[in-house]
Amino acid sequence: MTPTVPELLVGCATALAAQPSAEDAGVYTATRLRTVATLNVLIAQECAVGSAVRVWENSALRSLLLGAAAEYGQEFAEARSIGDGDCSLAALDAANAGLRRLLIRLHEAVEGARDHKLDREILALYRQMAERRELKLPAQRPAT
Amino acid sequence: MTSAVSGEGLGRRLEQYLSSLWSDDVRITNLSRIPGGASRETYRFDAETRGGVRGLILRRDPVGSLIDTDRRVEFLAYQSFHGRVPVPEPVALEEAGGPLQRPFFIMQRIDGGTPASPFGPSPYGEHANAIGEALFTFLGRIARADPATLPLAQCLTPPAPEACWSSALDEWEAIILRDERHPQPIVRAAIRRLRRNPPPPASRIAVVHGDYRSGNFLHDGKGKIIALLDWEMVHFGDPLEDLAWCCDPLWNHFDASRVAGTTSEEQAIATWQRESGLEVDPQALTWWKLFSAVKGQAIWTTAAKEFTVDNGNLALAISGYYPPRRHDRIMADALERLVEEGWR
Repeated sequence: MTPTVPELLVGCATALAAQPSAEDAGVYTATRLRTVATLNVLIAQECAVGSAVRVWENSALRSLLLGAAAEYGQEFAEARSIGDGDCSLAALDAANAGLRRLLIRLHEAVEGARDHKLDREILALYRQMAERRELKLPAQRPAT
Repeated sequence: MTSAVSGEGLGRRLEQYLSSLWSDDVRITNLSRIPGGASRETYRFDAETRGGVRGLILRRDPVGSLIDTDRRVEFLAYQSFHGRVPVPEPVALEEAGGPLQRPFFIMQRIDGGTPASPFGPSPYGEHANAIGEALFTFLGRIARADPATLPLAQCLTPPAPEACWSSALDEWEAIILRDERHPQPIVRAAIRRLRRNPPPPASRIAVVHGDYRSGNFLHDGKGKIIALLDWEMVHFGDPLEDLAWCCDPLWNHFDASRVAGTTSEEQAIATWQRESGLEVDPQALTWWKLFSAVKGQAIWTTAAKEFTVDNGNLALAISGYYPPRRHDRIMADALERLVEEGWR
């Protein structure tokens, strides 16, 4: 998992609060300040859409896993019991971890069975997951 | 910049070390830390001796690191390529680290250049094609060098040509499994696909820089590359590993028509082939491109884990946060495309 929002903000605060040594002054400190700024732009995106992205992903994973349970085993029906809790980022991430573990096992089984249709469905889901989680830097042009 | 730090902390230790090394009375001035990646602490300084002033760079092991690399190997890489391609002259290596508390090495400083920010747009402006020509010319020369004749052969063992891909993939997969804090289905799928669709054996065992890309060289702003840096992941292997890494979309500065923000991929490959004397097998390059995203994801996974230990290290924070999201996207797009093209 990429660092969480609280970890990142605490990291920024720690870096800003640290007393720089004499040799850290100048370009190194200037770069550190720019990194704090960049991180905060990225964190703002996460705060704006992070919950929605996770709710969507968890729902998509549950749907896929439950749909595959009849053919690939009832272990994947366990997805039904993995709820989103209080919908905090931490709770959503915990649920996501459980669902992703099941997805990895399902994809291995699908590949082993040479089930090309479901394989492509999973790959398409990967693309959507990655697309929704992507962060944009201030200087970034539209996706290429 | 901080000047005249003689008698203070690190500067004083450097003075003692270099005075002993050179049997001279050395004074350190203008000691200043500079951004130099997350794997080493990097400082620039001047060493004043009876013979004149030497501009130098200190690379010291950090407390925590992005990837644990051997500074001896990095030092030998500079020895191997100084004079062949633009790299700084290595000056001193201390693996025990006593004089400066942690292992370190010192090398010549090359002034008059700047590295591109890897995630800024159009870093080379009107000189993009010239930079691309130089970038892939030097990479071809690195691939052409006979590893057995280089100082690097003192500590690196060449893999068998048919084992290059599997040993590289094994190494980075193990790092992902060791360091991941959250299940990563996309990179797991990419690893399985890479194993089922292996590339042909390496056409030559070569020196692989390991992190050859935009941002890891100094350019003079007028189309000239003046120093190739950051050799800490150097190893022997398939030279296509470097070519693919340099062409990875993560480093394209958001311009898909130019690799590394420089030139077209077609031109980059043509230049590399001319200088290396090797032909690029498109299927092999495709494999190494997907591998590049896996390798990147391993590096970012380690960065995220290390950030939890060294919470004030923002180089680890940004490395563990932004690039893995893009590499997931790059991998997911590639997997869909490759399956359509017939990958099993």
